[in-house]
Amino acid sequence: MEPVQLFNLASQQARWLSTRQAVIAGNVANANTAGFRPMDVESFATVLSKTSPSMVATDTMHLGGDAFGSAVGIAERESEVPVRPSGNSVKLEDELVKAGEIRRGFELNTAIVKAFHRMILMAAKTS
Amino acid sequence: MDPIATALKVAASGLHAQSERLRIVSENLANAQSTGNTPGADPYQRKTIAFAAEVDRLTGGDFVRIADIARDDAPFRVEFDPGHEAADEDGYVKLPNVNALVEMADMSEANRAYEANLQVIKQARDLISMTIDLMRNQ
Repeated sequence: MEPVQLFNLASQQARWLSTRQAVIAGNVANANTAGFRPMDVESFATVLSKTSPSMVATDTMHLGGDAFGSAVGIAERESEVPVRPSGNSVKLEDELVKAGEIRRGFELNTAIVKAFHRMILMAAKTS
Repeated sequence: MDPIATALKVAASGLHAQSERLRIVSENLANAQSTGNTPGADPYQRKTIAFAAEVDRLTGGDFVRIADIARDDAPFRVEFDPGHEAADEDGYVKLPNVNALVEMADMSEANRAYEANLQVIKQARDLISMTIDLMRNQ
């Protein structure tokens, strides 16, 4: 029987979404910091297609990466808004829209996992 | 570290920064009429606040910290009031370089940024509870 990959896929997406949430939180917190450029994570498709081994932080002095080694790439977002005199180009509205996207993605993700879990339980109970 | 916990901490650092900013605004507004008390003395000098992004080594999150609380070097307003205790020999009193309109604008912007950070915290909390809901019996 084909191993079921859905849980793995769903947890990968949940990890990607929560990394994105942390990045958006950084953008919002630095909305008034001079010289700050907003960041974003790479798309989920890119994360999925990555086959290279990822760095794992095993020491508090290790920069970037986290204990799970998810290695979702974070890069400065090239912005279409002109940079303000302070050198900051964060738009709070954009960040809140992105936060909404994350929320919808997370809702869908948990709903799918829930449904899948129910299906497995159903199969286990009736057999 | 868990990215959602990082998001919560980053947003909390944003809340702290914005509330410090609000404190500076209130100090400026409260002292908008504070003159010196010796002849020719300098009045209250407007304070400014600057933020800086700081990467936290443990979590990799972009925290915000207060880089500097400085004094505004803009020239003081001068008013002719020979009876005032801070009047110089020509009868002019130096008043603080605080502009109430600028402070009001700064205050509403701090308000807006604070709300955005609160929104992030709310959402991070919702994401956590959605995940915990997975473990509940349907």
